[in-house]
Amino acid sequence: MQPGPKVLAYFLGNENLPITDTLLASWLLVILLILFAYILKKRLKIVPGRIQAAVEIILAFVESQIESMLPGEGRKFLPFIGTIFIFVGVSTVFGLIPGLVNPTGDINTTLGMALMVFLYSQYLGIKRKGVGTYIKGFFEPIFLMFPMNVLGELAKPISHSFRLFGNVVGGGIIITLLYQFFPWFIPVPLHFWFDIFSAFIQVLIFGMIAISYISVAISD
Amino acid sequence: MDFSPEFLDAIMKAAAYLGAGIGMIAGLGPGIGQGYAAGKGAEAVGRQPEARAEIMSTMLLGQAVAETTGIYSFVIALILIFVV
Repeated sequence: MQPGPKVLAYFLGNENLPITDTLLASWLLVILLILFAYILKKRLKIVPGRIQAAVEIILAFVESQIESMLPGEGRKFLPFIGTIFIFVGVSTVFGLIPGLVNPTGDINTTLGMALMVFLYSQYLGIKRKGVGTYIKGFFEPIFLMFPMNVLGELAKPISHSFRLFGNVVGGGIIITLLYQFFPWFIPVPLHFWFDIFSAFIQVLIFGMIAISYISVAISD
Repeated sequence: MDFSPEFLDAIMKAAAYLGAGIGMIAGLGPGIGQGYAAGKGAEAVGRQPEARAEIMSTMLLGQAVAETTGIYSFVIALILIFVV
């Protein structure tokens, strides 16, 4: 038993560019989401249908979460944070479909998103506070704390990405072990716990922490 | 004394598996932390039942953040088992 992404082929035969199943799953997810958004955009109505109402509920929820930490800027950050919520949320559902894998079970996917949040929050910090105040923030409260502040800042994307990755992979390993003991029926309820309840809480956490990193970067 | 490469490899594997097991003792910390948060959450709901939804979401967020150290040790154990 080898957890984690499986290498299916090599891009142009180059050993350094493996094509994994998680990579294919995330590309499929991106294409499906773009198609879905395109079709939904063509049929937008004043009186929403079922699918439009569901999407509106999700987006209103994400916006209210942003508003609770960044008052008055929910609409501005909705595209970025909403994309993270939708991508990670739908990729959780992907893990339940036989033959597909959860793209967030790969450290590269989660680290990519965490680095994006990290760079965006640093950019916003520089833009809102100005370069001088931004650099001065690293020397608070006294200049001796500079290495600690830099390390603390660099640890953010690591903890952010490992949390989601570890939860997804850990649940997957426990379920795989159980399938070796009881191949039928008994592991099925565990999917509800690990792949639905626990995973959706982690999606919420991932998004909330992205919001809180941005709010920490642009405030104070 | 010199040992054969197979012997050294076996010792290294054994040490890695032992290290993975010992490292997962860190699972104690998140367990205690999450239980403490859940107990405080139950207390808060008992005091203010009308704020149940707010307390639940705050508690779950805090518990998920408290889980981080356990996840670190889990990732290290994974590396020790499958990579070393």
